[in-house]
Amino acid sequence: MLEGLKAAATGMTAQQTRMDALSNDIANVNTTGYKHERVAFGDLVASATGPGSAQTVAAGAGVAVGPAGRGTGQGALHTTDQPLDVAIQGDGYLQVKLADGRTGMTRDGSLHVDARGRLMTSSGALLQPPVTLPRGVSAKDLTIHPDGTLNAQGKPIGRMALVNVVAPSKLDDAGNGVYTANAASGPPRVAGTNTTLVQGALESSNVDIADAMVDLMDAQRSFQMASQAVRTQDQMLSIANGLKT
Amino acid sequence: MTSPMERGLYIAASGMLAEQARQDLIAHDLANASTPGYKPDRVASTSFGDLLLSDTASGRPIGALGLGTQIDRQVTDTSPGPLHDTGEPLDFAVQGDGFFAVRTSAGVRYTRDGQFSASAGGTLVTAAGDDVLGPGGAPVRIGAGGTVAPSAIGVVALTNARRQGDTLFTGTPGATATATGTVRGGALEGSAVDPVHTMVEMLGSLRTFEAGQRVITTIDSTLGKAANQVGAV
Repeated sequence: MLEGLKAAATGMTAQQTRMDALSNDIANVNTTGYKHERVAFGDLVASATGPGSAQTVAAGAGVAVGPAGRGTGQGALHTTDQPLDVAIQGDGYLQVKLADGRTGMTRDGSLHVDARGRLMTSSGALLQPPVTLPRGVSAKDLTIHPDGTLNAQGKPIGRMALVNVVAPSKLDDAGNGVYTANAASGPPRVAGTNTTLVQGALESSNVDIADAMVDLMDAQRSFQMASQAVRTQDQMLSIANGLKT
Repeated sequence: MTSPMERGLYIAASGMLAEQARQDLIAHDLANASTPGYKPDRVASTSFGDLLLSDTASGRPIGALGLGTQIDRQVTDTSPGPLHDTGEPLDFAVQGDGFFAVRTSAGVRYTRDGQFSASAGGTLVTAAGDDVLGPGGAPVRIGAGGTVAPSAIGVVALTNARRQGDTLFTGTPGATATATGTVRGGALEGSAVDPVHTMVEMLGSLRTFEAGQRVITTIDSTLGKAANQVGAV
C-alpha cells in the first residue's frame, strides 16, 4: 500500500521539476541566447508487489526525473544595428574566459568594451583569445566577419573563437548563459563552417511561449492526477482502518 | 477447514488485498503520465482454486465456491502513445510497431523512449548513457553537424515485452526486417497512459475496496451476534 503512495508522490515531484524548468524558461523568454531546458523521465521498477498479487507481478515505484540538457533550436535573430552585437547562426558558442579563469562558452553575443579596450560579454566574461581594440579605434569602426575575424579600419585586429563540443546536452551550466565543458561533453573544438556570426544582430531566446504554456498546463494536470492517486491511496488506508469499528 | 463464516471473511480480505495491489500499479501509471515511451500494464485477476460445496445433511453437491482473488498476471500494453514534434535533432520516435535497441551493461534492452543525446565519444546514447544500436547492431555514430539520419537507427520487433524500468524493456527480439515501424526524427512518443481510463479505473478500484470492507464489517457483526446474542435471554 505504502509503495503506491510513494509511487504517486514521485509523480508529483517529477511534474514539479518539470514546472520549475518551464518557469525558468518563461522567465527567460527575452534573455539573449537562452536555450530552453529539457527534463528526462524514466520509470522505476520495484520488486514484487505485496500480498494480493502473484509473485511474478512487478509493481512500479513511480518515476525518476533528471535534467536532459537544453533545446538546440536556433533562436530568432533580431537586428539591433549595434556594431558590438553578434548573433551565432548554427550550432556552437563564443569562447570566453570566466572571472575564475575557467574557459566558458556562450551564445550571448551582446558585447561591450571595457576600460582597457578589451571585448567582453554582458556578464563580464572576456573573449578568449582576448580581442583588444587598438588605441583610437571605436566600436563603430569595427567589422566582424561571419568566420569571427575582426577588422578595424580595414586592418585585422583579432578573431573570435567559435567553438562547439561533441555532446552539448552534457555541458555544465556556469550561469549567465555561460557553459563549461567537462569529460561527458568532450573538450571544446573549433565549430564547423556552417556556424557563422552575424554582426549587428542578437539571437533571441528559443523559448516558444505557446509551447511552454501548453507544457505547463500538461505538467499541472499531470501533477493533479498524481495528487489524486495520493488522495485515493490515503482513502484506502482510511477504509482499511475502518475495518475494526 | 475454516468454518463457512470465516471463509467469507478471508475471501473479502483477498479482494481488498488485490485492489491494493491494483492501486499500486495505477499510482505507478499516473506517476508516469509524462514519461516518453512509457507503456502501462494491464492486469488480470484470477480466482484461487474453487472448492466444491456440498450439503452436510444429504451430501448433495451445491456448487463451486471461489476462495478469493488475486492479481495473477500483468501484460504490458504496447499500443503506441501519441507522437509529438520537438524539433530536436537527436529526438526520435518509432512510428508504428517496433522498439529501439540499446546496449546496456546487462545486455541488449529495448525502448520506445527516443530522447537521445550525444556521448563524448560521438555516439548516440540514451539518458542513462547506453549506446543506441543501428540496424546492424553497431552503435550509431553522430554525423557532421550533430545530426543522425533516422534510417541509421535500428527498429526491432519485440514479443513478450516486459517492463524493466528506466523506460527499458526485455523481450524476445525478432529479425530487424520484421519490424514494420519507421523511425521519425525530431519527434518523441509520449506516455501511453490514458488519463481518463486510469482515473476511472482508480475510482472503480477504490469503491471495490470499500465494498470489500463493508462485506468484512457485515460478516464481523454477524459473527458478533452469533457470539454474544445466541442463547441470551
